[in-house]
Amino acid sequence: MTLLYGFVGAGIFACALYMILSRNLVRMLLGFSMLATGVNLLLFLAGRIESRQPPIIADSARALGEAADPITQAMILTAIVIGFALTVMLAVLVLRAWRHAHSIDSRNVDSAESLGTPQEREPADD
Amino acid sequence: MLTILLISFLGACLMPLLAYVIGRGAGLVIALFPFGLLAAFVSMAPFVERGWVKGEAAEWAPWLGLDFTLRLDGFSFLLCLLITGLGGLVVIYAGGYLTNKSPAERARFFCYILLFLSAMLGAVLAENLLVFLVFWEATSILSFLLIGFEGRSARARRAALMSLQVTAFGGLALLLAVVMIGHVLGTYSMAQAIDRAGELHASPWSTAIVICILIAGFTKSAQFPFHFWLPNAMQAPTPASAFLHSATMVKLGIYLLSRFEPVIGAESWGRGALITVACITMLVAALQALRAENFKSALAYSTVASLGILVLLVGLDGPAASVAMIGFLFAHALYKAALFFCAGSVLHATGLYSLRAMGGLARHLPLTALACAGASLSMAGIPPFIGFISKEFLFQAQLESSWEAIPLAIAVIVNAVMVGVAGVVTLRPFFMGHGKVNKVQHGETFSLVMPPLLLACAGLFMSLAPDWITRVAIRPAVASVYGRAVEVDLTVWHGLTPMLLLSFVVVSIGAVIVIFWRKIHVWLRQRTRFNTYEIESLWEASLRNLILSSRQLTELLQHGDLRRYLLAVVGGTGLLVAWSVAGAGVAPDIPLLGELRPGEALVALGGLGGAIVAARARTLLSAMIATGLTGFAIAITFLMNGAPDLALTQFTVEALLVVLLSALLLAVPLASPPTRTKAMRGRDALLAFGVGALLFLGMMDMAAREHVSIASDFFGRMSLTSAHGHNVVNVILVDFRAIDTLGETIVIAIAAVMARSLLRSRGSEGPVPGPEPVHFSLQMTGRWLSLLLLLASMVILFRGHNQPGGGFVGGLVAALSFALLALAYGVNHAQRVLRLRTLTLVGLGMLCVLLAGVPGLLTGEPFLTHLWWEPGGVMPALSTTLLFDLGVYLVVLGAVLAFHFGLQREATR
Repeated sequence: MTLLYGFVGAGIFACALYMILSRNLVRMLLGFSMLATGVNLLLFLAGRIESRQPPIIADSARALGEAADPITQAMILTAIVIGFALTVMLAVLVLRAWRHAHSIDSRNVDSAESLGTPQEREPADD
Repeated sequence: MLTILLISFLGACLMPLLAYVIGRGAGLVIALFPFGLLAAFVSMAPFVERGWVKGEAAEWAPWLGLDFTLRLDGFSFLLCLLITGLGGLVVIYAGGYLTNKSPAERARFFCYILLFLSAMLGAVLAENLLVFLVFWEATSILSFLLIGFEGRSARARRAALMSLQVTAFGGLALLLAVVMIGHVLGTYSMAQAIDRAGELHASPWSTAIVICILIAGFTKSAQFPFHFWLPNAMQAPTPASAFLHSATMVKLGIYLLSRFEPVIGAESWGRGALITVACITMLVAALQALRAENFKSALAYSTVASLGILVLLVGLDGPAASVAMIGFLFAHALYKAALFFCAGSVLHATGLYSLRAMGGLARHLPLTALACAGASLSMAGIPPFIGFISKEFLFQAQLESSWEAIPLAIAVIVNAVMVGVAGVVTLRPFFMGHGKVNKVQHGETFSLVMPPLLLACAGLFMSLAPDWITRVAIRPAVASVYGRAVEVDLTVWHGLTPMLLLSFVVVSIGAVIVIFWRKIHVWLRQRTRFNTYEIESLWEASLRNLILSSRQLTELLQHGDLRRYLLAVVGGTGLLVAWSVAGAGVAPDIPLLGELRPGEALVALGGLGGAIVAARARTLLSAMIATGLTGFAIAITFLMNGAPDLALTQFTVEALLVVLLSALLLAVPLASPPTRTKAMRGRDALLAFGVGALLFLGMMDMAAREHVSIASDFFGRMSLTSAHGHNVVNVILVDFRAIDTLGETIVIAIAAVMARSLLRSRGSEGPVPGPEPVHFSLQMTGRWLSLLLLLASMVILFRGHNQPGGGFVGGLVAALSFALLALAYGVNHAQRVLRLRTLTLVGLGMLCVLLAGVPGLLTGEPFLTHLWWEPGGVMPALSTTLLFDLGVYLVVLGAVLAFHFGLQREATR
């Protein structure tokens, strides 16, 4: 199963990279969202999938018995939320770019570049 | 000496303020300050003339080997006398020269000059090489400020920049040399570096050290090929030119070279390099001095030639060379400063620059003419002036040294040209061509006449009564340069010697040059080829190319194409990983296949399929749906592998993403033409595949190794006993690693603030048009469904400590409930139901999270140590973890709603 999950995680990661390299900003955004998903799966794999028992201490026990790794789960849980926030943040930016430049092609969103170099001045002569 | 230096710097900052109060006579008063410093140094004369060395030190940064150590020996003493004495005269002269400037400008000039004077004193007194470097650079910077004093003139700015570029380049070379010396010897002491020249020579760095020292000395002292900045530096006001660019600062390079003569001489080619460069410099400068049209330029080129002679004398061996070097340095400082003063007076009185336009000024400026004549006679080496004695020493040094006749021949020619220049700059403007100038703008003033006249007289007086200056300054200086005491006989008449014969030859040729100057000058001026070969134009061209190529490089790197930036990042990361894997030299392990559970395998492959479809999708809508499919598949995978918390979170996030992104997709075109060509897509796919494959191999290698779970085991053991929680994941989040969670909560809060500020644009505050008509069933059930979701979110929050759930998931579910309301009845309705503003929610949440840490703090434990209160019976256990989780819940809810409402409004606008 590990092999398969590794393959799926890496595959999702590669597909996400391919989408991120697009110049279509929405496609990039979806790519970022998917990148987070793929990485989360790989991170989950780092905690091993030896046990299918959730890391919850049984009522009768004092300590956690045989269960999945809780640390990676705690990390992934926050990673999911942060990844979601990042995706939505990107969505806001894309929407603003669309309103401003009326394009979702990254080549057309160039307000920063079109400012030019800050100190382009010819030396004065007397 | 430390005190003198400190007073000097303080005075340099304070004294110029007098220029505001006193006005025109300020120079005379301020000059008392450098003269006071001069007196302080003269009082040390009995000490120095015994050949003693005075040292002082103050701690500065000992861990860097940087102590403020000063050392006064004969050579330093002579230079200190010159710096302070000439400094006083320069201040007086400047007071008369800058009459047409405002008090503020005069004060600025005095400030620069006095600061420069202090920096020069520091440089010649410094014993620690790092301290020396600091003062050396300070003189470069002050020279820049003085050359560019007339900041409104483009030529002055250009000249100032050029001098700074050249001398700062030399300063960098000096820094390199100093660092290398410190590296080899373990100390930055100048005396140690000279004493242990053999050690330096034996080290592998010796060649580099000597080259760097030579570059530093050559740039500062305007030697070929760095000589071009000095004639340009004549853009500075004349008093500054006299002080910096002939008498003192340019001698600093000579000072460095002669201090390090043992180090340079230890290299087999060291002296040869000095003499070769000096000879080239002398020839180039002599030629240009004859071509120069301008009074000050002629003097500038003759200064370059004089500096060449000094470098030559540093390069020659034998005691006579040291005597000649010191003698010439002293004599040159006196007569060249005087000549610059005279040039300045002529410029000031007539406004003329060109030598050919001047004539017959002796009638209008008699005392200036007298001073000029005296200084010129000294420069030409006519007895009994001091210049004659120094020239005798020069020829003696050359005859006694082990070098061939070529430097001697060059020295004779160059000295003849100097005689010629000396004659021309005196005779032509003052005594020949009567009637060329009939009117001067003003007569002579005391401030303008006294300094040159005094210097010219000093040149005569010191050769006639040389005892004091020889005893006090010249002899100790020679001794400290040569390393042991040398007999110095500073008398005019040595008898009939070969040196006298050479002097005679020089003066004769010089006289011929004076007579035929006009013809030679015009002929040389017509040879415009000299201009083409000037180093100056090469320098300018290289600067232009530097700017051009850096602009091209910037355009290459900062091309503004996001895709290529990302390609560089992704490809670079991939290459780094591949490189480190290849560098490790071991093949990655592959884990055992293990049992394959078909159902789960199908779900996972479904997720991969979704990813592939998303990557290949033509429209954004299908891409989004496929992405969601992947997310759901992974959520199920989490669920089936013992991670219900993750599954719950991922499900909610996917649902929210659909709601939020659909607002974006409603605004932008769903299907747009491809932004990449087919070849680009192929390349991107290849790159993505390669990086993915690398990642796969890495993951597999990691999975095949033993699973280290010390931390997990610890948390599993302690979760219930010390943190009162059954759900280990939630306990880790809110208790064991609560600070991490706090950080993440802050990130989300910041994102909410950003979203708010980005989406809060014109017109976005007003009510949005009502929602599109939605399906009847949603309109009927939406209210109840959202209420159910809200209740569920609270249950998830409260039971989170023991069962799957918690603040993050709870907040997301609550957000989903409001999102549903907004979908069914519009954003306005959802906001009305919420009552609070989204950012208020976020703020409340942050407050809860932070407050949760305080009770622990009050009991003396670290921040975020949770406390528990278990009343027993039917009452539930209460703890600060609940408050913490509630805060997370509120922040997540507020943030998601901030995004959601903002996006909805912006999209429907």
